[in-house]
Amino acid sequence: MSALTRPWGHLTLAGKIILPLVGLVIALTLLLLLGVATGVIPALVLFGGSLVGANLPIVRFIVAASAILLMTVPTAFVIIYMEMKFIAFINMRLGPNRIGPWGTLQSTIHGFKVLAKEDFTPTGVDVPVFTLAPVVVYLSAVMTLLVLPFAPGLVGVDMNIGLLYFFGIGGLNVVGLLMAGWSSFNKYSLIGGLRAAAQVISYELPLTLGVVGVIMLAGTMSLNQIVLLQAGSFLDWFVFQQPLGFLIFFIAAVAEGNRAPFDLTEADSEIVAGFATEYSGMRFGFFFFAEYVAVFILSGLITVLFFGGWNAPLDLNPLLNWAGLSVNTGLDFGRLGVGLLFLIALGPVVGTLLLALPFWMLRSDWSVLKSLVIGFLLFNLLIMGAVGLYLAISFEAVVGLFWFIAKTYVFVFVFVWMRGTLPRVRIDQLMGFAWKWLLPAALLNLFVTALAVITVDAIR
Amino acid sequence: MTADATRIRSLDDPTLFVDTPATIYDAVPPYPPRSEREAEFYHLRDGELLINLGPQHPSTHGVLRVVLKIDGERVVDLDPVLGYLHRGVEKICENGDWHHAISNCDPLEYVASMFSEAMPVLACEKLLDLEVPRRAEYIRVLAWELNRIASHALFVGWLALDLGGLTPILYSFIERDEIVEMLAALTGQRLLFNYLRIGGVNGDLNHEFMSRLGDWMSHAAEQLDNNQKLLNENEIFVRRTKGLGTLDRETALRLCMTGPPLRATGIPYDVRRAHPYSVYPELEFRIPTREEGDSYARYQLHLDEARESIHIIDQVLHQMPDGPVMAQIPRLIRPRPGRAWIAIESPRGQYGCFAISDGSDQPFRLRIRDPSYFNLQAVGVLTPGNLIADTMAIMASLDPIMGGIDK
Amino acid sequence: MLLSPPRARRDTTEIRVSTAHASDVMRTLHDDPEFGFDILADVCGVDTGDHMQVVYHLWSAASPDWLRVIVDELPRDDPRVPSVTFLWKGAEWGEREAYDMFGIIFEGNRDLRRIYMPPDYESFPLRKDFYLADDAPRSPGQGFRHMERVHDPSTATPDLLIRRSKLR
Repeated sequence: MSALTRPWGHLTLAGKIILPLVGLVIALTLLLLLGVATGVIPALVLFGGSLVGANLPIVRFIVAASAILLMTVPTAFVIIYMEMKFIAFINMRLGPNRIGPWGTLQSTIHGFKVLAKEDFTPTGVDVPVFTLAPVVVYLSAVMTLLVLPFAPGLVGVDMNIGLLYFFGIGGLNVVGLLMAGWSSFNKYSLIGGLRAAAQVISYELPLTLGVVGVIMLAGTMSLNQIVLLQAGSFLDWFVFQQPLGFLIFFIAAVAEGNRAPFDLTEADSEIVAGFATEYSGMRFGFFFFAEYVAVFILSGLITVLFFGGWNAPLDLNPLLNWAGLSVNTGLDFGRLGVGLLFLIALGPVVGTLLLALPFWMLRSDWSVLKSLVIGFLLFNLLIMGAVGLYLAISFEAVVGLFWFIAKTYVFVFVFVWMRGTLPRVRIDQLMGFAWKWLLPAALLNLFVTALAVITVDAIR
Repeated sequence: MTADATRIRSLDDPTLFVDTPATIYDAVPPYPPRSEREAEFYHLRDGELLINLGPQHPSTHGVLRVVLKIDGERVVDLDPVLGYLHRGVEKICENGDWHHAISNCDPLEYVASMFSEAMPVLACEKLLDLEVPRRAEYIRVLAWELNRIASHALFVGWLALDLGGLTPILYSFIERDEIVEMLAALTGQRLLFNYLRIGGVNGDLNHEFMSRLGDWMSHAAEQLDNNQKLLNENEIFVRRTKGLGTLDRETALRLCMTGPPLRATGIPYDVRRAHPYSVYPELEFRIPTREEGDSYARYQLHLDEARESIHIIDQVLHQMPDGPVMAQIPRLIRPRPGRAWIAIESPRGQYGCFAISDGSDQPFRLRIRDPSYFNLQAVGVLTPGNLIADTMAIMASLDPIMGGIDK
Repeated sequence: MLLSPPRARRDTTEIRVSTAHASDVMRTLHDDPEFGFDILADVCGVDTGDHMQVVYHLWSAASPDWLRVIVDELPRDDPRVPSVTFLWKGAEWGEREAYDMFGIIFEGNRDLRRIYMPPDYESFPLRKDFYLADDAPRSPGQGFRHMERVHDPSTATPDLLIRRSKLR
């Protein structure tokens, strides 16, 4: 609020941009309410429906892009919280435990904190480059999300060159890091930026070559197709056909994401914070978010390429059918008629009261209100569970999303685990490892895979 | 220099918040070189870059500033700049009486302050020819050895932290915290104990201390082994420390090094054995040495020494005599005029004190010889030719404490 | 060569040498296998009030006792002493500290500059004519802010006011 009471001239650049936007948003909201109330907007929507139908790919792209841009922030929040909590566990500390239950809102508060901090531009920096660098890094991370298949049908754009797009756009982040390092007018930043350039470029090679085996087996570069090819049980996953490829890809991915033990670009005990030394406020926040989004994306890519993407490890449907547990998902709400209205009106009240009753009876020291609140919360949880179950049974996208997220977070956990356990490698060891070990291993993997593919084709 | 030039600018000063225009700051200091070495250091060849490591840097263990001359990632030369924590303890000691000197010397080695506060105490006792009660001597040795383990535990954590490992320092702090809590029960302080007194110690062993000590002794050795498992066989840690910053015996002696860095080169120089003080002649312990002289050897040596200290504590507890813990001394101490030199083995090497008394109640001169001050010089010899990241590994393995270095 | 016969008290033997012989004495102590003093425990300066001293403490594996070498009777206005950095490179910082605190010039030290005090500092804080601010009652009436007083031997505080060691 202090921004509102401050004279215009005292605001920072960000403040000057954000303040009119806030006014604009309020005005638009009021207009929207007015439009709905007067019936103008429903009419427009009816008209627009035909317009959308005519331009489906563009609309689809816009929706996907906005959804992906929006999902990065909560994803980063979750991973940051996870990292704080898991590293605390490894360190035998408590970790965040003050804000929200078990400190779960800690990273949200961190997000607000970086927003509220002064966006500081030091003397002597190259201002346009300095300002653009975090955006480049962030966007290069976010844009790769567009081709990641989360679930059947839930993919931003199903490109036939998805993997190529991924590496092409993902490789752009080194430009951002170099921009940050160069423009910061700080020797630590410069060293950090140059380290980033050397490291990311060196590890691009094993990263890409490690995947070529998968591309050869799959015969396509579309990530969606690669996942579809791994359908079935977990034995169909590519990790069992490409163990060496997976190992190379995983190590290179850790280096590509600038994560420990390869976090040389922001080695805090050596070069303070590397390329991010001079950044503060939301600009630093962009780097920070980009790092965690990159962790998510790389874990997601490992899942997609080697661990079957959204496919369940075992197909449970035959098992359920054998046990006679077939579920009828064709529930028609229309058949309930007036009963539906009664259900909607009375269900919450009766449910809440029923759930509150045992608490009120068993805990004499609790007030009625407290029991009611508990009952209401429990009722909501139950309903959410029921709805989730229903969705999971009726739409395979929900099950797919569940498996994708679950597998991805296993790898996110491995990233965090490594950060808590391992010391940092040195720059010469890092480069030597990439060029002397990973690259020859990737080439060997490529050669063996090619040989196997040809042999199998010849036998057939 | 006039008083006006050194005046702190007040907040009302209109020039205080005026933006300075962008300037390209010159790396070379704004005064003519004061020595041959400085002139040579600030003469940059093509492609060389000066970079300030500190005084505000995560891994300089305090407010040390090191000017690095780098060529790419490789360190060509370096110049440590001290004085950011200089308080003039020696001068302050000359202006207080002998008792004041104890608490003035306390914050010198703030990680193991039981050693630095012993300096004026032992020196004054030597000037007075004072016989300290045997129980007090045993309690001193107990406190010293406990503090040595606490300090060595932190060393391991710091070394790992400077190599980028986040976890070992927390494990170290668990061990250190048990000892520090124990000493807090004994002395009333967690960090700067102010426990030793001229003629004895400030209070006998109490119940809480003994029960905490008993608890800790029951799992100390096991805990030490557990904590180092994380690092000992860690490929990255071993590769980053082995063969790094290798010192040979001759160089170590010429650099006036003492303590673990010297013993890691194979010279068994330990003041406890070379020049016994207190009740160390009555105790049985080994002086661990290593032959390699590199960072890894120094790390291993610290662990060996911590184990020896546990062994010493065990003996001290068994041999602890009864009796008073303070000698009968006057409140105002006026040693006869004379000079006294004492040295003890601190976790970082030989802590020494040279005291001159002129017969008054104040020390005429109290010179403190800090081991990390002399050990830190080795950075200038060991680092050139290595990478920037190795500077931290070498510096951490020498275990400098800026409180003592800057006095 | 020695200014006075060696004195031994408890575990320390003390010899006093003049500036002219300091270098030779230290070299002999270090190089001669009969002595073999290869550990330089400490080097420091002392201002006795009348003159300056440089004190070395040495240890040798041959005997358990400490050897104290005092290079004595350096004039207060221009104290100069040969450096021992050619024997112990580690003495460099010890000598820098003695220079910083007492203004003793060690000839042959390649890096003789201030180590604690800022480069533009002009006094030598551990000299006996440097008074601390809270030492005002004892200072010769020059007020509280005495820390930054330029040390100039010609206008130095009257001799009477300097605290002197009664030690010989």
